[in-house]
Amino acid sequence: MSVMTATSVSTAPQLLPPPRWVDEDVSLQQITDDISRPMEARPGKGWWICFAFALAGLIDLVVMVTWLFAKGIGVWGLNNSVGWAFAITNFVFWIGIGHAGTLISAILLLFRQQWRTSINRSAEAMTIMAVMCAGMFPLLHLGRPWDAYFIFPYFPNQRGPLWVNFRSPLVWDVFAISTYFTISLVFWFLGLVPDLATLRDRATGRIKKFIFGFLSMGWNGSFRTWARYEMVSLILAGLATPLVLSVHSIVSMDFATSLVPGWHATIFPPYFVAGAIYSGFGMVLTLLIITRQTMHLERYITMQHLDRMAKVTMLTGMIVSYAYATEFFSAWYGGNLYERYHFINRATGPYAWCFYLMVLCNVITPHFLWFKQARSSVAVLFIVSILVNIGMWFERFVIIVVGLHRAFLPSAWGMFYPTRYDIGLLVGSFGLFFTLFLLFIRVLPMIAMWEIKGVAANSAHIAKISKIARYYPAEENSEVAMNA
Amino acid sequence: MPSKFVVATFLDPDSLLAAVRTLRVHSFPIYDVYSPYPVHHLDSAMGLRRTRLPWVTFCAGLTGTTLALSFLFYTTILDWPMNVGGKPDNSTLAFVPISFELTVLIGGLSTVAALLFRARLFPGKKERLPVPSLTDDTFALVLRRRNDHFDPLLVARLLTSSGAREICEIEAQL
Amino acid sequence: MNPDAESKPPCKSPKEQFVQIGLQDEPAYWKSVDELRNGPRFSGEFPGGLPGKSADHSTGTTRRDFLALMGFSLAAASVTGCRGPVQNAMPLLKAADDIIPGVSNYYATTCRGCASSCSLLVKQRDGRPIKIEGNAESVLFGKGTCATGQATVLSLYDDERLRAPQWKGQTTTWKEADRQILIALDQAREKSGKVVLLSQTVTSPSTQQVIAEFGRTYPKFQHVVYDAISYSALREANGISFDRAAIPHYAFDKARVIVGLDADFLGTWLSPVEFARQYASNRKPEGKPTLHVQFESTLSVTGSNADVRVPVAPSEIGLVAVALLRRIARKSGTTGVPDAPDPVDAKQLDAIADELWKHRGESLVVCGRNNVSVQVMVNALNALLGNVGKTIDLEHPSAQRSGDDAAMAALVEEMNRGEVHSLLLYGVNPVYDYGDGGRFLSGMEKVALSVSFSDRQDETSVHAHAICPDHHFLEAWGDAEPVSSHFSLAQPLIAPLFETRAAQESLLEWSGQAEPNYYNYLRQFWTEKLFPQQKELQDATTFWERSLQDGVVMLPAAMTGVAPAHRGDWKAAAEAILKTQTPRVEDRYELHFYENVGARDGSHANNPWLQELPDPISKVTWGNYAAISPQLAEKLGLSAGDVVKLTADQGSIEAPVFLQPGQETNTISLAMGYGRTQIGKVGRNVGVNVYPLTLTANGMRQYSAINVRLDKTGRREDVVSTQSHFSMEGRPIVLETTLEELSHPAPEDTAALPTLWADRLHGDHSWGLAIDMNACTGCSACVVACQAENNIPVVGKDQVQRNRIMHWMRIDSYYTGSLSNPGSVHQPMLCQHCQNAPCETVCPVLATTTSSDGLNQQVYNRCIGTRYCANNCPYKVRRFNWYNYTDNMDFDFNMTSPLGRMVLNPDVVVRSRGVMEKCSLCVQRIQLAKNIALQGKRDLVDGDIQTACQQACPTQAIVFGDLKDPHSRVSQLHDSRRHYHVLEELGVRPNVGYLKRVRNPLNAT
Repeated sequence: MSVMTATSVSTAPQLLPPPRWVDEDVSLQQITDDISRPMEARPGKGWWICFAFALAGLIDLVVMVTWLFAKGIGVWGLNNSVGWAFAITNFVFWIGIGHAGTLISAILLLFRQQWRTSINRSAEAMTIMAVMCAGMFPLLHLGRPWDAYFIFPYFPNQRGPLWVNFRSPLVWDVFAISTYFTISLVFWFLGLVPDLATLRDRATGRIKKFIFGFLSMGWNGSFRTWARYEMVSLILAGLATPLVLSVHSIVSMDFATSLVPGWHATIFPPYFVAGAIYSGFGMVLTLLIITRQTMHLERYITMQHLDRMAKVTMLTGMIVSYAYATEFFSAWYGGNLYERYHFINRATGPYAWCFYLMVLCNVITPHFLWFKQARSSVAVLFIVSILVNIGMWFERFVIIVVGLHRAFLPSAWGMFYPTRYDIGLLVGSFGLFFTLFLLFIRVLPMIAMWEIKGVAANSAHIAKISKIARYYPAEENSEVAMNA
Repeated sequence: MPSKFVVATFLDPDSLLAAVRTLRVHSFPIYDVYSPYPVHHLDSAMGLRRTRLPWVTFCAGLTGTTLALSFLFYTTILDWPMNVGGKPDNSTLAFVPISFELTVLIGGLSTVAALLFRARLFPGKKERLPVPSLTDDTFALVLRRRNDHFDPLLVARLLTSSGAREICEIEAQL
Repeated sequence: MNPDAESKPPCKSPKEQFVQIGLQDEPAYWKSVDELRNGPRFSGEFPGGLPGKSADHSTGTTRRDFLALMGFSLAAASVTGCRGPVQNAMPLLKAADDIIPGVSNYYATTCRGCASSCSLLVKQRDGRPIKIEGNAESVLFGKGTCATGQATVLSLYDDERLRAPQWKGQTTTWKEADRQILIALDQAREKSGKVVLLSQTVTSPSTQQVIAEFGRTYPKFQHVVYDAISYSALREANGISFDRAAIPHYAFDKARVIVGLDADFLGTWLSPVEFARQYASNRKPEGKPTLHVQFESTLSVTGSNADVRVPVAPSEIGLVAVALLRRIARKSGTTGVPDAPDPVDAKQLDAIADELWKHRGESLVVCGRNNVSVQVMVNALNALLGNVGKTIDLEHPSAQRSGDDAAMAALVEEMNRGEVHSLLLYGVNPVYDYGDGGRFLSGMEKVALSVSFSDRQDETSVHAHAICPDHHFLEAWGDAEPVSSHFSLAQPLIAPLFETRAAQESLLEWSGQAEPNYYNYLRQFWTEKLFPQQKELQDATTFWERSLQDGVVMLPAAMTGVAPAHRGDWKAAAEAILKTQTPRVEDRYELHFYENVGARDGSHANNPWLQELPDPISKVTWGNYAAISPQLAEKLGLSAGDVVKLTADQGSIEAPVFLQPGQETNTISLAMGYGRTQIGKVGRNVGVNVYPLTLTANGMRQYSAINVRLDKTGRREDVVSTQSHFSMEGRPIVLETTLEELSHPAPEDTAALPTLWADRLHGDHSWGLAIDMNACTGCSACVVACQAENNIPVVGKDQVQRNRIMHWMRIDSYYTGSLSNPGSVHQPMLCQHCQNAPCETVCPVLATTTSSDGLNQQVYNRCIGTRYCANNCPYKVRRFNWYNYTDNMDFDFNMTSPLGRMVLNPDVVVRSRGVMEKCSLCVQRIQLAKNIALQGKRDLVDGDIQTACQQACPTQAIVFGDLKDPHSRVSQLHDSRRHYHVLEELGVRPNVGYLKRVRNPLNAT
């Protein structure tokens, strides 16, 4: 203790007042009430409007999938030259969206970033829903979806000792996505348990009480459990971090391991991961701004949160831009005939407009966030986040379609024109996503109460004791050092 | 079977910490502490041993890797080798991603399973709360009341002095 | 087994046995079709056919195989073929143990897809003909075929065919039809009214005799021969020049220099299969290749193969002939060729003339214009060059086209004057394809009796009083003498599917014979007329059976050896040509009508395989178009798909524009044979009919027009092409070399590409292909052959436009050089069967792997359709089943009807929706050959296996074989200096190799 004290005394005067992640001092009860309100009050008009749109999208999805299964892949615009387009673009897009959630909940936890607390719950929920949307597309894009189980190495193998091709990135995908989904789900649910207990104890209706009681697994806030619980959270975070990086690396290998010009590039894994986080943060921003406004949670999702996210978005955006530049450079410097043509075609060919739209959204837009005014204007951030999403969707589209439509033999060159079913499915996936998300914020606490309480208490505590510190340096001060 | 407990409730973590420390100075065995969120340094104050769950993760992860690799080698080299794009049967590099994913999956799931097992948590379990609203804003310190050398007055004094809001005796199964 | 009337056991009538085969309510029959549709179970039962000598013929085109067949070929043939009393089922009772279900037999017959009358060898499986091959025994045609010939088997199973005769549009019985017709014909006999048989070219001597006999029974009879695409002028010109009004037999293989004047002899002209074979035989860069110069208006298959190609307007072809003749005449010291401006670069003409002169007696000038004067000039050229009797054989004239335009024109007038009492239409459809079809129709309505032998209700037969449907040639007996003293026999491969009757039998019936039987007639004809002319065989029966089995007979014909004298009165012709020249007028263009490989004269328009066959040059399917040069398009501000109105003196047509590089700038070309209105669901209203503009002027059909006005209509119509980009973008795809390079051995860069892994091939074989780009003419026979062999679905115009054609083998075509007169190359592109196949690595479910003998195999049952393999295939040869193409009325082609599905090959799975497919190198043929070798306790020898594309190729550009066997032909070709792999640097190590194209520039020879 004495050593500790010594150091802490020496550091004490340099202590800056740490950022406040909850505006004004709120009592723990206040926090519980605020966060539980959306689940107990009737939904507002804003929520209903959003939900109506989302549900329409979901219905559209059902129609599209039915028609697709009835007729065949032919209803899409694909052809002999372009075998992948919208479906895989959407797949990569949604997987990318998911990554921000894991990043916030896992990586920021490891980095002890307290600002994550008010957003990590909804971010993780977003991850899970995004992965659901993503996982849907590989299934839909199969010629024979009813045989999709062929892709799993199952045993006993009814079809003789025939396994799957473990060299194929698609099989890696299967393992990566399912692992990613499982771990994210577990992580998310584990985080929910204490809050479920809180809700259980507040619940009035018998049904609510039963459901929350069942799910909260008899949680009673015993500290022995808390201790293990926090350890497990750390471990899961430690596992999820390399996992999330691996998932998008593997997705990128779908392209990187092929020999299609414009796909065949070693830069893809880091490039895709950065892109994923970029798009993910775009989506988190969109969602949080919506919920913040509709659910009146400005107190917990503060401008400082938005500011931090804006900064991450800007950073990853610039990494992505760098990757774009590198692609063009290596195509020119490598001197490969087909690569060169691919990138000339990307910038001047029939799909050039997609390319420039992508550049506008992913290379130009982030730089607005250099300005404090931009970062502190909800409207600007919202627009930026939407642009980011558009840009990242087009990035995948450009990579996939421009790569395929003019590959090696000019005799086999062709064009891809989306049909209404391509577009319908894209819209439908958004429908599914938002329906799930809107339901989530109605029935579950979209902010981790127990974490907020910890942070709020700590910050209040710090505020208090940083006054006291001057009189009693020794005992309390050591805590300050540790809290900070 | 139910037994007797002394429960002290607090409204802020600091007094809870103080109480824990005082009681331990007076070597009262603390049965458990309840709080709506994990209070920092409570573990050191209570003198809890560091959990061994990381070891579970490590072993499970290792098992995952081994299982994955051996399965991959078995299927592609021993059981049914095929000429896929002229590549050798043993394309070890191609097996890395799957091995990694399985490591994470098995490691993670086992850890959570271990936690639930160790903390006796399972879906549908009936919660046992010494006092209500523990999950909302109340902190509680619980001592098991034993007949031998347990001075309730001393305990009460120590607790109140360190800021307990109220102290009560309950007979329950915790 | 000589079937004779006495020993005739009672048995089911042929009707019960066979006739209902085609009908939909025959469950037992369809069971087998279901089985073959349900996948490999059927072929799995007899992976290579059961043991037994008949199995040997499944690969068989060699004579030895046929001798083995001899024992029961007649029996089997007559079983499947018998209609009459003589060949009752007796042979079947005998042959039951010879004909094995699931084992294919091959029978020789003769193609009637066009009048070229190629000898065929047709694969028959369980009583159904399912595949056409060439007859290797034929000295004329060899084992090759053309796209049309390959597709004719599908026409047999055409739903639109009439099931029974018709009288005045009502279905009736033969008895009734005969009664009605005979009533009318008797009137003709009594009133001595004129009876006319209007037929297409008849190459069958026995049929000609039938017609003659029929004619003899009527006081006034005339047999008029009419071809939609006429060679009348050629025959007449030979009459003028050589006193022999016949089409000579050309020998392109004897020519060192070939000059083609608008004659697409490699694609459609006269006898393309034969000519392509001859042509390729001495184009080999090993040895001394010919020099080929082509003057033509639109880029044709022939032009794309020429060493020198000169775009010339149709009206100037004559001038070219004059210009060449003037130069040759000067050299030969002849005079009197009138002076005229050279239509093209004079130096070029000089050089060509020099070449011709240098190769006197071993050069050949052919011309495709239906214009007597021009043909006379060409005759003069050949005469002065001493080619007559050498490369041009008038001693053995060709009977492949014998239409007479003048006679036809006269007939139409007679009919309109009401001088014709009865009109019999045999294999013709003038209302559609005669220039003035309307006038023909008005005349036809004036005749008392009009009978058509058409197999369906076409534009003409709907107006006829009676339709007496003839057999499809695969159901019929017959013979042919395409070139004098070269005979080819035709036998039925299947009992007539419907109540049809051979036209010959109808004619015999109406000439008063009781129970006529054409089989007996034919056999008698051969025994009496042909048997005595040959010395080889003493016994008539043996002769007949041998002929039946071989399919071809060549008789020693009297050869005087004296070339017919050339009567040099060509000056008049020259004058005529110059007189007809009109100066070019601004904004007035020339129209040029040509025959293309897919549609030919239009009689096969209901054949979906041919409709979907991409044009060898433009790659356009499903319709014709107005081909204009890019320069003209730019001048007029037209883009592909703009519909233009073309107005000539004869009338006007509207057609969408297609930009054709190499097109003569002032000429607009359209393909004939489109725009059928009465033929069936497939061919109805596909493209535009240009025949109405091909009127007959001074006795000759005119297939071109001058003074044509072009107006934009503002409408647009899709011209659907399977290839959108025709430049190689400087990539190593089609490599060319010159004779110099080959003759001067350059340091070979044979540094083998490094590979990361050891060669994995463990099997005994490594199947591969070698494709000689120098021999490939782009005729596209292989494309249809592949489609027929591998049950490849037809997807229709809309899907082709969506770039979803299913052909496993496509022929890529690229242009090189200038836009105005580009070089053009054809490259057959199919699965390259890579040893480091990129498609395999990415397939998640191991649906495609490399087999132990080096095939890149696709497992349909395992495929889940991720299409990843197709994305990763650098050659883009994989095909995905976007929809269910069988039993799907959205794709109402041959696979939707039980009849149409009879053409399916039981050895090949019909793929289901959502799976990937591609060229398998005809793995079913490989397995079959392996099993036969196994049964014969011998090893496979080179040549045992032929892929469908290889077998169909008239120029033998494709060679299949074992790359592990250093002595196999394919290995030797892979060692050739011309050998290369497409996109070699990718390191995928294909088993399919290509031989560089060799250009032979004018100055080089």
